[in-house]
Parts: sequence; structure tokens; C-alpha cells
Amino acid sequence: MKSVIKDQFLVSPFLVLFLIHGMQYGVGVLSFQRDIAKVAGHDAWISILITGILVHIIIWMMYSMLNKTKGDLITIHQQTFGKWIGNLLSLLFILYVLAESTTVLRSYIEIVQVWMFPLLKTWPFALVLLLSVYYVVSSGFRIVTGVCFLAVVLPSYLIFTYVVPIEFSTFRNLLPVFDHSILEMAQSIKGSILSFSGFEYLLFYYPFIKQPESSQKWAHFGNLVTTLLYLLIMIVTLAFFDQAYLQKVIWPTLMMWKIIELPFVERFEIIGVTSWAVVMLPIICLMFWSASRGIKEIFKLKQRSVLVFLLLLSFIVCCLLIDRETIQQYNTFVAEIGFYLLLGYIPFLFICCHIRFKMREKG
Amino acid sequence: MKMWFRKQPPEQQENNLVALINMYKQSGDFVHFHHPQSPQPYWVSYFGTLIDVEILHRDILPFLNKTAFTSLDGVKAALPFEDVLITSDLQKIQDDILQGSVLIQLDVKDATCLLVRAEMKKAREVTIPEEEYSVVGPKEAFVESITTNLNLVRKRLPISELKVKEFTIGTLSKTKVAVLYIDGITNEENVNTVCQRLSDLQFNQILDSSIIAQLIADNGHSLFPQLIDTERPDRVAGVLAEGSVVILAEGSSHALIGPISAMELFNAFEDYYVNWQTATALRLIRIFAVSFSILVTPIYVAVLTYHYQLIPKDLMVTLVSSRRNIPLPPILEAIILELTIELLREAGARLPSKVGQTIGIVGGIVIGTAAVDAGLTSNVLLIIIALAALASFTTPVYRMGNTIRLLRFPFLLLADLWGLLGIAVAFIFLIIHLLNLTSLGRPYLEPIYPPRLKDFKDSFIRFPFSFQSKRPGYLQTKDQIRFSKKKASEVHDIDE
Repeated sequence: MKSVIKDQFLVSPFLVLFLIHGMQYGVGVLSFQRDIAKVAGHDAWISILITGILVHIIIWMMYSMLNKTKGDLITIHQQTFGKWIGNLLSLLFILYVLAESTTVLRSYIEIVQVWMFPLLKTWPFALVLLLSVYYVVSSGFRIVTGVCFLAVVLPSYLIFTYVVPIEFSTFRNLLPVFDHSILEMAQSIKGSILSFSGFEYLLFYYPFIKQPESSQKWAHFGNLVTTLLYLLIMIVTLAFFDQAYLQKVIWPTLMMWKIIELPFVERFEIIGVTSWAVVMLPIICLMFWSASRGIKEIFKLKQRSVLVFLLLLSFIVCCLLIDRETIQQYNTFVAEIGFYLLLGYIPFLFICCHIRFKMREKG
Repeated sequence: MKMWFRKQPPEQQENNLVALINMYKQSGDFVHFHHPQSPQPYWVSYFGTLIDVEILHRDILPFLNKTAFTSLDGVKAALPFEDVLITSDLQKIQDDILQGSVLIQLDVKDATCLLVRAEMKKAREVTIPEEEYSVVGPKEAFVESITTNLNLVRKRLPISELKVKEFTIGTLSKTKVAVLYIDGITNEENVNTVCQRLSDLQFNQILDSSIIAQLIADNGHSLFPQLIDTERPDRVAGVLAEGSVVILAEGSSHALIGPISAMELFNAFEDYYVNWQTATALRLIRIFAVSFSILVTPIYVAVLTYHYQLIPKDLMVTLVSSRRNIPLPPILEAIILELTIELLREAGARLPSKVGQTIGIVGGIVIGTAAVDAGLTSNVLLIIIALAALASFTTPVYRMGNTIRLLRFPFLLLADLWGLLGIAVAFIFLIIHLLNLTSLGRPYLEPIYPPRLKDFKDSFIRFPFSFQSKRPGYLQTKDQIRFSKKKASEVHDIDE
């Protein structure tokens, strides 16, 4: 039933740190502040903290399911809901993954179009990026992980750029603390959970980890890094921008970069957007890897041909999303699904899975 | 119908020694003569151009003329050689004569004969390394004789564990190829990979080890060298002790080293002869030089075509004033100058060294200044391109220099297309390619990916020898320990 993955395709447990963190840290980082601050105001940083803890719990849930079944999402589904319903659910999940990958790709191209090349056509750039994705994914999971690792390590210099605006910040903006109701905080979590999304792909690549049980601490560690980094960015943003102004800024992180000035570089945001090409590449790669892997498992097809088909599909959808409005609608739609999937479906699956195992032990 | 395509059965050849000798006689340099006056008449045949005539006259003929032999065994006993062979195996006879053996028969019609090795061993003197010259350290370089080269290596590793496996490759060239490794240190998987690939080779002519390097590379379409070639015997001995596999070929003055990691392309062996601070600084400079060399012209093109906002005001003034009278867009300007530099380089490489120097000066000074004066290029770009060309020469591995030379062009074109973003795209493809590459099946980008912190001790940086107590991890050596770290790092108390 389960296909055993050869040793040479497995990755070390500690690389899960980069897989988790690299997937979370994506296009959302450039814009996540506004959505959270819309509801939580200057307490938005607390919302980040709470979400970080929530995500830790979800990661724990996923590990507890995965360790039991020793498989991936598809085997969990099959063992919990039976073959047919299980596969249908897996397929829906994969559909969400595909939709999300297109969101990431299109959002990045939009940023490029707004900040660097207003006249850039969507399709040639999407084509080249998807080609690079094909190159990565067709080389296998080890290379996907490698890209993930390098995409975390290489642009890590950007962390200094989040610190620079502190010089121009007023930290009084953060006061008074706990100024919002619990309901408002809960609502803001909806905005922030999306910037944390990306950890759910663990459900797909879990069987590719050497001694997967031992990788749990690294997964938590990866989420911790993300939480701390978001916390830093959030606090600096809140201190840097006036609340009323922040509501008008779509990409606060890029706005903050405008303040950076080096002896040989002005307008740092251009370098930031360029670096982001490297940051968001592994996200798309791992998404397509997961989707094609999942379909391969369900339908027993060749992963390479599935991948080509999925890339074409994504390319077409990408080209169809033309203006800001449509992109925004599409993004909101995918985000809505994502929220219920992460905070609703995974805990639900967790409960179902454990009930099923309990029943099986008794029966 | 079908039978027309079938090969005709070979005509029954006269598969005997007489026919063979008759065939050889068609060559002008084949000697076949009879000695009727000696106590026992005999026949001698050899290629006059392959054997050392002095050996024949001094060590073979006098013995044959002295006494009467009744059998070839008697001749074998009398001759002062260790590898005298009596055989009737035609294939063996054919090969041996062509490799410089003398064939002796007691009667011309005999099928059995005696073969004595008397090959001519002509090789260049061992000289100073030219490609990998270093100021400190030994100054011996490999020559074109595999025997001399093996001697140069064995001298440095006088241990019985140093094993040599020999192959003969090439249907026409019959090149002798030797695979060297240290038993007990080198991972056998690596040795087997090399041996397997060598024995699978289907090629007619191996004129140099670089041909082997191309034929057995993991990815034959990659720009990047996947085996390092070196002319330094000390480097070969050094990497053998680390656990690498080395390939030597007859007629080649370069040894091949594998498996390698990309970091080793930045290591000159001289790094081990200077103190670690200097070595580390030099390595960092080389890595900087390579990235500079690849990226600086594309960045110039990208910034001046699309992102002039990136440049601070003061710098902008300098750039604008240097480009004010230039009629060409930055990409054309850059490509013209890059091509000029490539022309100079290629012309310099093809011409005899004295003329080459003159070309360099003429090209560098005259063309450069004239191009700026004529308003074809800006002097800022001239400086940038000259520096980039200079920087590409800093790589200690010659082949890597060529790689950098070519890598620049896709970067340039993409920079013109999408500015900095184009450079990022090119960079992404480069990284994916490097991640995909392997050297003899071992990941190329190690220790960066798969990340191995321990291997950083001798990659970007070279830590002092006391830190190098373990062999590099990517070689997966059988014996990890080079020396006992505990003893080496024993700290003595004050005044003890």
C-alpha cells in the first residue's frame, strides 16, 4: 500500500526547519501588517504571538497524525475516511494548494509590476518562473529542499533592513497595550494565520524526512523563527507608521525599505523586490511538488507529466488574472478557504483520525 | 533480401605469426632480420621507432650471439630481463609489438615466440608548473609520461596502501589510464564509480586526461568542471590523503581529481603553504572576484537601463557625465567591450608568448583609450569590464575561468531584458543548476547544500591545521580521522 521512499531521496530532519520557515516566509511578509492592524490596531503584534502559538499546536496535531499513519496526507485521508471519500478530500486539498500557488505567483508578479516595471507583461515572466519551477521540481525533493534552504539563507541579509527604520520610529505608537477586545483579537487572527500558512505542506513531505519523528522539534523551531521575525517586522511597522496611514499602505514592508539609504544604493525597495524572487521561488516549487506528488499518489500517474499539466494550468490562470481588482478578489477567496482549512479542517481531521484509530484498536 | 545486409563472413585469414609479420612488414619502420652466423640462428622483429635500440644492442643481441640455444626457454633464462614472455597468443603478440617489444623466434615459421620489452621511454624533464605556479611550495609539475607521474606521486606517498588500477582506453590510442586511491581511506564507492565509468568508456582516442574528464562527467552538458585537473603532484598527493580518487593518463600532464565540491574550485594548493589567515583572506578575495566578475557588467547594464533611481545623486553625476556622449544603449556598449576583451584574450592565447604580450598592451591601452575617445564606450564601463576580466583570472582552476567567461553573457542578456529582476532569474537558474550537479555522484554544492557545518573548516575559509583533524565529509571517507585532535591541541600550562 505504502510506497517506500529510497534512502537517497530523503533529507535530514533539521532541514525541516528551513522547509517550514521558508514556506511561511513569503509574499505575505510584504503586506501582512495592514490586514492585521485593520482590526487589532496597535495591538497587532499580540495577534502575531497568539497565532504563532496556535500554529505550534497545529504542527503538533499534524505530527501526531503523521507519526501514527507513517504516511502523508493521502494515507491519513484514506485510513480515516476510506478510499473514496479520502481521495476526494485529498483532491480538494490539492486543489487548494494549486490555487494558493497561483496566488503566490500572481501576487509577486503584481508587486513587480507595481514597484519595478509597470509595463511588464504577466505571461513572459510567469513562464520563466514556472520554467524554473519545473527545473527544480523535476529534479526531486532533495533539490526542492535545497532551493528552500538557500532561499532562507541567501536573502537573510534582509533582516538588517527591518532594523533600519527603528531610527525613525516612535515606539509610543504601541501604547496602550491590550487596548482591544478579545473579539477583535480573535478576528485579527484570521488575518495573521494566512501569513503563517505554509507549514501545512508538512502533510505532503513528511515521508521524505529521515527519522521523521525526530524532525518535530525542528518544525517547531522553524515556526518559532517565523514568529519572532514577524514579531520584529510587526513591531517596527507599528512604530514606524501612523495607524491611519498604515491603513492606506498595501505593502508596508516595501514602504519601510524606502527609508534605507546606503552610500551606493538609494531606493532599496527595488533590491528588496528583486531579492524576493529568490524568497518566493521555493514556496511555489514546494507547492507544485506537493500537488503533483499528491495526484501521483492518488491516481498512480507519472509525476513529471502531472507537473507539466499543473504548471500549464497555473500559467493560464495567472494570465487570466489581469487587474488589481481580480487579483484581490481571487486572493481573498483563496485566503478565506485557507483560513478554514488551517484552523478548521486540520483540527477536525486530527480528531477524526484519532477517533478512527481508537475505534480500530477496539474493534 | 535480408541476407544482403548481413555481413559477409570474414575470409579465412592466415591467422598465424607469419601473416602478422608480413602485415607489419608493410610499414617502413618495421625491422625483421635473420642471424644465420650466430651459434643458433634466430629471427628478430620489432618496430625500430618504438623500441630503444640501445637496449637491443647492449642487452639482447650480445646474449643471443654468445651461446647456442635449443629452446626459447633457454633464451628466456639467459636474457637479463624480468618480463620476458613466451607465448603463441596472437593478440598478445600484436599488442606487445606495438607497445615496444622485441619479438624473437628461433625459426621464422614457429608459432611460439619470445617477447622482450624494450620500449623507448622518452619524456620531458620534470619542470616548474606553469598553470598553477606558486611562489611557495614545491615546483614540480607532471609531464606526459605516466611512469614519471606515478613516480612523482609515489615519492610523496611511500605507503603500500596507495593503490593503482590500470585501464587501457581508446580503440585507436590504447591509452594507459591509472586510477589512484589510498586503500582504507578512500570510499570504495567512489573508486568503483570511477572504474565503472572508465571501463564503460566508448571512445577511440584519449589524447589527454581532459577528454576523460568530459566523457565521465556526471553532467556532460554543464559549464562547470566536475573534476579538477591539476598539474601539481603535491596537490594530487594532498587530495589522495584526504580521500579523493585521482586519474592519470599516459600522454597527459594533468591529473584528474574527483569527487570535488564547488568550493574546491576556489582553492589554490598554495593556500596550504601559507598561514591560515592569509589563505582565508585569499579565498574570500577569490570568491568575491568571481561573483564580481559575473555580476558587475550585468548590474551596470540593469541599473543604467532601468533602475537609475537606485544610484545616489553624487554617483549619478559621475555616471551621467561619462555616458553623456555615448550613442549606444548600455547593453550594446557592454557587449562591444566584452567582445573586445574576449578577442584580446583569445588572440593572446593563440599567439606565441612574446607576440601575445604585445597584443595585450596594444589591445589594452590603444583600443581601450581609443574607444573612450571616440565616444563608443564610457570610461566607467571600461574600468568595470577590465576589472571583471582581471577578476576572472583569479580562479586557481583554469577551467573555472572559462566558465565564468561564458556565464556572464546570459546574465547580461537577462539584465537587459528585465533589469535586476533578470539578474535574479539568471541567478535562480544558476543556483538550481549547481544544486543539481554532482561530482562522481556526490553533491557539488556541499558544504552549502547539503549543509555540513564541519566542512566549512576548509571551504570559504581555511582554518589552521589543528582544526583539520577530520577528512572532508563530502568524500565519505572510510577513515574520517586524519590525526588525533586530542594530542594536537594539548594545551600546556604556563611555564610547564
